[in-house]
Amino acid sequence: MDDKYRFIDFLGMRFNVANCLSTIIAAILVFILVFSLSRKLQLKPGKAQNLLEWMIDFTNGIVKSNVSDRPSNNFGLYGFVLFLFIFMSNQLGLIFQINVGGYAYLKSPTANPIVTMGLALMSILLAHYYGVKKFGFGGYLSNFTRPLPLLLPFNLIEEFTNYLTLSLRLYGNIFAGEVLLMLIAKVATSFGLVSFAFAIPVEMIWQGFSVFIGAIQAYVFTTLSMVYVSRKLERE
Amino acid sequence: MANLLVLGAGKLALGDMLFVLISFIILTLLVKKFAWGPVTKIMDDRSKKITGDLDYADQERAKAEKLANEREQALQKSRAEAVDIVNKAKENGETQKKGIVDSANDQAEKVRQKAQEDAAKAKEDAMKDAQNDIASISLQIASTVIGKELKADDQSALIDSYIKELTLDNEAK
Repeated sequence: MDDKYRFIDFLGMRFNVANCLSTIIAAILVFILVFSLSRKLQLKPGKAQNLLEWMIDFTNGIVKSNVSDRPSNNFGLYGFVLFLFIFMSNQLGLIFQINVGGYAYLKSPTANPIVTMGLALMSILLAHYYGVKKFGFGGYLSNFTRPLPLLLPFNLIEEFTNYLTLSLRLYGNIFAGEVLLMLIAKVATSFGLVSFAFAIPVEMIWQGFSVFIGAIQAYVFTTLSMVYVSRKLERE
Repeated sequence: MANLLVLGAGKLALGDMLFVLISFIILTLLVKKFAWGPVTKIMDDRSKKITGDLDYADQERAKAEKLANEREQALQKSRAEAVDIVNKAKENGETQKKGIVDSANDQAEKVRQKAQEDAAKAKEDAMKDAQNDIASISLQIASTVIGKELKADDQSALIDSYIKELTLDNEAK
């Protein structure tokens, strides 16, 4: 939480090594999971295929209950990858936290506001892109004055609040979870064996709860992304 | 952590955002190629197959019901036919039996009639013969009576000879 980070400046942009490493490891884990579950596909599914199809049905359910007006196949893929990636990112920090020489190298990428803002930006941009694609640029702009022209400022502000709440909700939940994990770990090492014995069950309970929070937040993020996309696809 | 977000506190790590976007897009493409595409294809195939199988099952059931009805009808028909055949055979047997018995009766009647006729004829012949014999005998008797004097002895001798002749004649017959 109060770790220092290594930064790399490249092409005029600043990269946080911990974020980039954690992101790419989460992505690789998601890919390994999905890849290993999708071997030997059959009409009569085996255990692995069943699990994968269950996950796909789950995210398809999220997508279909929100985006109604088109065969939402591409959104299905987006929702599936988004859910798995955020879920994996949330759990990553619960399992691995690597600090070398005071610098953090591996943690939950979603415990950083920049990363969650990146994800939220992607969802919001996707929503606006499909809004423009469906109604044309004029129609898309005129949608801001619906249902009343008076509501234009509220609609504009809503776009920013959507973006901020979407990203900061995820960041806040995961960051708070990690802070508490760190604090409990510090308690464990502060008073020797007694506090260690006390801290272990508490840490376990909080880790279990964090797994739950991570799953819930992934679900919420995916659902809200789909809600924002579907809002841009319909006329009020 | 908060100073990461404050623009004045140093350079904002916008590269992270780009990195996340790019890695997410690459992840999405990879997942699409290796898992999403094949799995959704398989799921579509399965739902198609299930619909097809259900339709096929409905068709087959309708066919089977039709066949069963047809068989039931055929069975009933063949049962009726069998009863018919048996009845006809019984009738045939009855008529044949009657015919055979009738013809046998006829033949027996014929045989009996013929026998009666034969007997009557034989009797008639015998009568005729007897008449002829009696005539010839009476002629003989007459001739002998005319030829001889009738005496008691002669008469008895005549009667004896006559009877002898009769018996001889009868035996000869």
